[in-house]
Amino acid sequence: MKKLKVVSSVLMVAFLLILSACGTSKTGGDEKKTVRVVTDAAYAPFEYQDKGEVVGFDIDFIKAVAKEAGYNIKVEHVGWDPIFVEIKGKTADIAISSITITDKRKQTYDFSVPYFFSKNEILVPKGSAIKSAADLKGKVVAVQNGTTGQEAAEAILGENSKDLKKFENNNLAILELKKNGADAVVADNTVVEEYVRNNPNENFTVIEDDGAFEKEYYGLLFPKGSKLKADFDKAVKKVIDNGTYAKLFKQWLKKDPDIQILKDQQ
Amino acid sequence: MDFRWDLIVEYAPFFAKGTLLTIGLSIAGIVIGTFLGLLIGLGKLMRNKLLALPFNWYINFFRGTPLMVQILLIHFAVVPPFLGTTNAIVAAIVALSLNSAAYIAEIFRAGIQSIDRGQMEAARSLGMTHVQAMKFVILPQAFKRMIPPLGNEFIVLIKDSSLAALIAAPELMYWGRAMQGQYYRAWEPYLTAAVIYLVLTLSLNFLLTRLERRMATE
Repeated sequence: MKKLKVVSSVLMVAFLLILSACGTSKTGGDEKKTVRVVTDAAYAPFEYQDKGEVVGFDIDFIKAVAKEAGYNIKVEHVGWDPIFVEIKGKTADIAISSITITDKRKQTYDFSVPYFFSKNEILVPKGSAIKSAADLKGKVVAVQNGTTGQEAAEAILGENSKDLKKFENNNLAILELKKNGADAVVADNTVVEEYVRNNPNENFTVIEDDGAFEKEYYGLLFPKGSKLKADFDKAVKKVIDNGTYAKLFKQWLKKDPDIQILKDQQ
Repeated sequence: MDFRWDLIVEYAPFFAKGTLLTIGLSIAGIVIGTFLGLLIGLGKLMRNKLLALPFNWYINFFRGTPLMVQILLIHFAVVPPFLGTTNAIVAAIVALSLNSAAYIAEIFRAGIQSIDRGQMEAARSLGMTHVQAMKFVILPQAFKRMIPPLGNEFIVLIKDSSLAALIAAPELMYWGRAMQGQYYRAWEPYLTAAVIYLVLTLSLNFLLTRLERRMATE
């Protein structure tokens, strides 16, 4: 273990040297700290890659927040699983990736104040017998692994039920539904609504069940005990208050945000 | 580093179930793949170039495209028309068998071609037909030489079966990913899965070494 530490610190130093050699170091002026932001850029319109560049609502939002908080940021696409490895190991400072604030996650990480309201919805073929969340019992449900959609489905079907199929991403889960391998998909409302809007001729319909599925809030993810949290909390509130949030929301999600529901949580 | 053993204990029954399926997928892949591989390898050896062409292209396709794409294609496009629904386990077995068959075909071809031409000539001059000579003289000798590369391929196949997690076949890696998704901890599930894969491949290695020793003539 000790040897590993020596090796890794040597690698770290080498890496830092390479990095500092690359950076155009500007001396003088007010020194802004650069924080490393990681994301899983596979979740349009929140974060995705546009010709290799990471873009989306979350990305514009974190840029606005960082500006408000007085930090420079460097956003990097690392994938979903690595986000949690990097934040836990403190190799990244912040993650923004439509990450829902949950108690389980709070055991290991810190979250900012909520910046986005979301809920799970059920995607089914038109004419399906499933009319509410309770109807999912005994049906085969496809979800994206590690999402709150999975947790919502597990609350009904039972944890690690054999009727639950966990996929790498929502696209594969929906494909499974399309090929009759599943009866329903449970995922964030933004995902299923966007899917139905983009594919109107596939005869899917969305079922809302506010009684069964809890309200969810996205937050910025920090390592436990991060010093950045205070600054970014303040900045998140400011960006929501000064109208920048509503502007970005409209630009990326094509509708107006429910700001009151966010403020109730802060 | 904090390592939550309690989580592994909690997931142990799922890892056990997943390991069984991984073993099942691997054995099915190895058996079907070896059988198909032998046929395809012999097919490619046919002297008639036109008849050998499809076998050639089979190998080109399955060796030359990513297994991940093959699994997704078979799961979402090949299996549903036959079964009316998707079936991850069937798709995984089909994909692993077809894929390994391409590699095994090349191993068979190499093994057969490595046997000295004189062996075939001697067998034929003793009055054996081409098929008899193949069956009783060439293949038994070739098989001995094929064991090391075949073992290599089987080990790769065991590890490649983890790609079936993509289509939600509940094998070992699937449960590793499920555990990761539930607790947002990467090392406990993935290292556990890695250790189990290592045990599986080491066991296979042990069996193959024994087989090799038994086949040794010196």
